[in-house]
Amino acid sequence: MSNQVYPKDKEILPGLQIEKVDDRIMTLNVGPQHPGSGHMRIIIKVDGDYIVHTDPDPGYVHRGEEKMAEYRNYITNIPHLERPVIHDSCNILYPYCLGVEELLGLEVPERAKYLRVIAAELNRCVYIEYWLAIYGIFLGHSTMFMWPVGDRELLIDLLDKMTGARVTHAYFVPGGVRNDVPPNFEDVCLRQVNYFEKRLKEYADVFYDNPILISRTKDTGVLSREDAIKLGTTGSVLRASGVDFDIRKKEPYDVYEEMDFQTNVLKAGDSYARSKIPWLDMFESCRIIRDALKKMPKSGSVRVKLKPKPKGGDTEVYRRVESGRGSLGMHIVSRGLPQPYRLKISVPSFRNLIAMPHLLTGEKLGNMPAVYWSLNYWPVEADR
Amino acid sequence: MSVIAPKFRLGYLVKGITDNIFWIIVLLTLIGIPVVQIVLIYIDFPVIDGEIWNPFRVFDAMTHPERALPLVKNFMQTDLFKVVAFPGFGFAALIAAAVIFVERKMLAKLQLRVGPFYCGKVEGILQLMGDGLKLISKEIIIPAKADKPLFWAVPVLFAATAGAFVALIPVAPGWVVADIDLGLLAVFAVIGFFPIITILAGWSSNSKFPFIGGIRALYQMVSFEIPLILSLLGIVMLTGTLNLSEIVESQVNFPWIIFMPIGAIVFFICILAELERIPFDLPEAESEIVAGWLTELSGMMYGLVQLGSYLKLYAFAALFVVLFLGGWNGPWVYPIEPMAEIITDGIVIMPDALVIKDIPGLPLFPQEMINGTIWFILKTAAVIFFILLPRGVFPRVRIDLLLKIGWYKLIVLAFVNIFIALALVYGGIIGPGGIL
Amino acid sequence: MGTASGIIKALNSGVKHIATKRFTFRYPEQKLKFVGDGYQYDPNSGVGIAGYKGRHILFHDKCTGCQLCAIACEDIAEAIAMPKVEEEWKHNKKAIMPQIDYGKCVFCGLCVDACPFYALYMTNDYELSSFTKEALIYTPAQLQVKPKVDQDVEIQIDEKGANHG
Repeated sequence: MSNQVYPKDKEILPGLQIEKVDDRIMTLNVGPQHPGSGHMRIIIKVDGDYIVHTDPDPGYVHRGEEKMAEYRNYITNIPHLERPVIHDSCNILYPYCLGVEELLGLEVPERAKYLRVIAAELNRCVYIEYWLAIYGIFLGHSTMFMWPVGDRELLIDLLDKMTGARVTHAYFVPGGVRNDVPPNFEDVCLRQVNYFEKRLKEYADVFYDNPILISRTKDTGVLSREDAIKLGTTGSVLRASGVDFDIRKKEPYDVYEEMDFQTNVLKAGDSYARSKIPWLDMFESCRIIRDALKKMPKSGSVRVKLKPKPKGGDTEVYRRVESGRGSLGMHIVSRGLPQPYRLKISVPSFRNLIAMPHLLTGEKLGNMPAVYWSLNYWPVEADR
Repeated sequence: MSVIAPKFRLGYLVKGITDNIFWIIVLLTLIGIPVVQIVLIYIDFPVIDGEIWNPFRVFDAMTHPERALPLVKNFMQTDLFKVVAFPGFGFAALIAAAVIFVERKMLAKLQLRVGPFYCGKVEGILQLMGDGLKLISKEIIIPAKADKPLFWAVPVLFAATAGAFVALIPVAPGWVVADIDLGLLAVFAVIGFFPIITILAGWSSNSKFPFIGGIRALYQMVSFEIPLILSLLGIVMLTGTLNLSEIVESQVNFPWIIFMPIGAIVFFICILAELERIPFDLPEAESEIVAGWLTELSGMMYGLVQLGSYLKLYAFAALFVVLFLGGWNGPWVYPIEPMAEIITDGIVIMPDALVIKDIPGLPLFPQEMINGTIWFILKTAAVIFFILLPRGVFPRVRIDLLLKIGWYKLIVLAFVNIFIALALVYGGIIGPGGIL
Repeated sequence: MGTASGIIKALNSGVKHIATKRFTFRYPEQKLKFVGDGYQYDPNSGVGIAGYKGRHILFHDKCTGCQLCAIACEDIAEAIAMPKVEEEWKHNKKAIMPQIDYGKCVFCGLCVDACPFYALYMTNDYELSSFTKEALIYTPAQLQVKPKVDQDVEIQIDEKGANHG
């Protein structure tokens, strides 16, 4: 830790300001056009090798999703609302569909619930593999970029057979799912998921037990248990600091209460734990998929037929779901029209962003990519 | 190449051909005749095997190729050949090109993907040529505020120093470009140039990221040079000489790696750091400082730096083989037995008609050399495989961990190695006057 | 000692993977197989039939020009316009049929869900690039053509590992 603290009495305005050139303190702009930043900017003030002040600057990808949702009815909102996190698209449509079903009073058939669970878990694995790949490349490990992205193709192939598109599924609708799976899907799915799990175990030798990685990420960016709860973090960041909270277990939705899986909790709270929890979560997802394939009813309808322009009553509803990054919630207010009156998306990335200045200040500059990306932050979702 | 070609007319084609012929004839007479006069009057023809080589013998050799062989053999023993082709630049550049291609394909196989496969019908062999052509055709952009003389000099200096390093390595008995008595010391002197060139590149680019990259490269290379030199002191103590050819000759019975394993490991890790390869590739850390000290170099300057980098890779691997693995020594593989008749009678292609010993000029080089070269190349290939492998398996180390490794752990291990060497010498086991 | 064994295990894993079979195939020469014929929708039951969502195919003998697909796409991507066609069909008095602009289409398939007459389906064709933006607008006559899609390999998994066949 540095013993040079940025003077507390100096008022620091947010954003990139014009200021006098300081002798010791250099302002670095890890900006949007930087191989190590993603689509957001972090303004870092550095004293030698230690970071003294961090100011994350999101907002580059703000498109006004919530406002645009007010002009579309409940069905045509679907391809639009899945875009904030496009490769986790089922998980961001999940609370929307659950909310609208509550508004319209629909009853989802059993087979549709199981299909939704399978699609959601596959999507979670797809997102986590992508995140792991970028984590590897931030640390300079190009093999850890190629292997997750390659293994992700197995799951994308499954989703392709199931929904018809590799990434932009638009699969969930209020009332069920849009189409049934093709014949012989269960067999192919089981084989590919088993092979996927075997590939996951190979990551341990080359990444998680690699002494160079351990020396780079252990005890960096430590988030204690009280701080994690106080700052309102969620998802894998919370579980890596010792808090046992997973919405699939605490507030189960669809058929999750019949699935047999466990929550992974690590107590260390450093970057290494935060990078390990999603990998352990993927094993649980494989278990859920196998379970759901076994328990799924062999036939049945997968969708409730809706009236042409469904209208809700004069109510509001809030549902939340455990996505790849944490708890994702949607608050839908309807006033009796086919369009929602107000749609608010509450994203886990934005909540975890609050932990970033708290963790990065006082760290070495060399640890910045490891700590920043281990917070499971997806810039597009945070900006909506 | 977006010029639209004009319509074809026969008249234009004939005019073009006759224009070219005219100019060729004019240039040949205007320049060729004075050159021929100078050659005939002022230059002495070479004397090979007791015969003067005048131009008539050259024409004769063009129609009967086997009579040109004494000329070729004489050329192979000159210094120019040694520098340009065999143990010097041509050989090293061929190995460097092969290494680049093998690296890309091997890493691709490790990462479960395919690598280059489209350019060149067989698994992308011509990819390297395509990359070279692309680099040559790019524009060389010099930043406006850069220090121009230094900026232009950097890639040339880099490739030249790498070439100087290659010149010191012995490949086969008697085949070394520069046979210096203090060979190992000359190696250290040449290696000491590389940090200076890196810092010149970083400084003359006049930009933030190359500057940080240059400073990091300086820290890294300087802090790993000390364990590099210390780990080789053990070898010097055991053999008592600094000449690289003599060190190889002293390993006729056993390679030094059996007695100095710690020194070999320390030297290997220092090689990875000097070459800026993963896990020590901080100076080029892409996700943090775009491309380090190479950021502002574009086009063929970048190509020259890459060439120098891979020449350095070959030279370090060859140095490892020479010092620790026994150089060119190895069991007899080629030419196959029986050997004695080949030396006395020559290789018999058709009995009683064509015996190679009877053709003047053959054999071009002593047959013993082929065996040494084969073993040298095999061992260098094995060492290069182990240098390329960590690129697929390890992440990058952070700067303070790197300095800790270089200044604490490796120096301690190198000193342990020196004590082992001292114990072996004083115990009378190896070294001058020892049992082995 | 922990570091040394970790390093050796990592190198070992690397060498082992050089010999592992990979399921990467070489794209322009080998293309992936599809299951089925493309995404379709059954208006009677209200459920779609699984398939790949590629280029659309329009059946001229079923389309009545009701514009429901264009209305569905208006909120999403505004990619469907309804120009006049020169054909004369009894069930298509207005003589208009959809034309789809693939520069704007997001391939969500909600237009297929909206059609009540089994006239608009999607096919397996995904290689739709062209040199101009105007060539991406597919007229109703172009949408009638059934595409020919190359299919060579698929991912096969056996006990030893995954491969492409």
